[in-house]
Amino acid sequence: MAADAGVQVTELGAEDHACLTFGESEELFDLTAAFVRDGLAAGLKVVWLTDAGPGLAAGELGHRGVAVEPAMARGQMTAAGWEGRLLSGQSFRAGAAVGWLAGELASCREQGFPGLRVALDMSWALRPVAGVEELPEFEEGIAAALEGSTAAVLCQYDRERFDPVTLASVAGFHTRAVAAATYYADALLRICRQYAPPGIRIAGELDFQAAEPLSLALAEAVRLGGDIMINMSALAFVDARCTLMIADAARAIASLSRLVTLRCLPEVAAGFARIGLDDIPGIRLVAGDR
Amino acid sequence: MTAEGKRHQSGLSGGAAPAGFTPLDQAFDAGSLYALRAAVAAHAAAAGLGRPQVYDVTAVAHELAANAVVHGAGHGRLRLWADGRFLYCQVSDDGRAGPAGEAGGAGDGAAPWPAEHGHGLWLAGQVADRVGIGHGPAGTTATARFLLSPA
Repeated sequence: MAADAGVQVTELGAEDHACLTFGESEELFDLTAAFVRDGLAAGLKVVWLTDAGPGLAAGELGHRGVAVEPAMARGQMTAAGWEGRLLSGQSFRAGAAVGWLAGELASCREQGFPGLRVALDMSWALRPVAGVEELPEFEEGIAAALEGSTAAVLCQYDRERFDPVTLASVAGFHTRAVAAATYYADALLRICRQYAPPGIRIAGELDFQAAEPLSLALAEAVRLGGDIMINMSALAFVDARCTLMIADAARAIASLSRLVTLRCLPEVAAGFARIGLDDIPGIRLVAGDR
Repeated sequence: MTAEGKRHQSGLSGGAAPAGFTPLDQAFDAGSLYALRAAVAAHAAAAGLGRPQVYDVTAVAHELAANAVVHGAGHGRLRLWADGRFLYCQVSDDGRAGPAGEAGGAGDGAAPWPAEHGHGLWLAGQVADRVGIGHGPAGTTATARFLLSPA
């Protein structure tokens, strides 16, 4: 039951017990939004246990294009905290938590949904919670509960905050390892896939020295098909060469009758406007960090 | 050496630099462009420029420095100074000469889609008040001038 190397979040299906590792909350929300979006679109019941309250969770998914409020209203989607589900009075018992999951599987069947998707933000295990040493037992229990089911579970671990020993101790119980496809990452720049809405995300400072990974990422954005977002809302600087490369990719996508959204800070948007990108049908230049 | 550079060196200027501003003189190469941008942004902000102008000055400084890195010696020096009306950003490169000539200023009818290597200088010409490039036996010197406040 060792985890496969690198699978995309959009490729998960029934019986998958996936371990998602993320480096920043933007990545967590993006990958979760894709997992929730694809589950809702397939008519599945979706549960997300997270520290973010239902309102914040709905907001994070909503501005990534996932309409969760109607799904919440009709009982197809739940976003809730850990207490009373994974935790009881701030203490953890693996058996009780697996029992909660079994209950969700049973009620999902009773409600007539064809399957269940559960996303579990595991950051509760970073807190002073009694019984946290039962975490591997819980992950083992999930794997057993999923066998022969129509459910998928996505366990979400912050790779910056969980120690490697803990991550290694739970990794073996997962059937899949999920992370955002990354074209480039160092202390100054990160270029990765964005899953909801589809596209790429560029954060930090971008100049000609990263032209090669940028070119790969843009080529994939062109190949993805459909409408695309190039999310630069956390991009503090982009030089002239990379501005032209992004503009060329945006023009190429727009010429295929697809909508491309460039989301960026006002100073960066001004650079795209300067070369005429604010006035091309199919290209939407959105200044702002949302 | 450009007119601005000579004036700077000879101590002639158009008035006192803004209070709080300190000149910058920093060496750079391919590995230190990020640190150079951070320093230019901090000094430009201290000259009293707003956020969009700080970004523009930083972008022009980067393009002039990147030009020295990619087409010149691979390294150089950046100097930032101010007088009462203008902020000056000068990049000198003691290597072989870079692209010749003077970059177009805003409104001179420069083509909006120049060749890739020229886009950095085109951008400088668009956002700076004036850009001059001089070649000499000691290398290439590019100076961009930005208006500090409306005349």
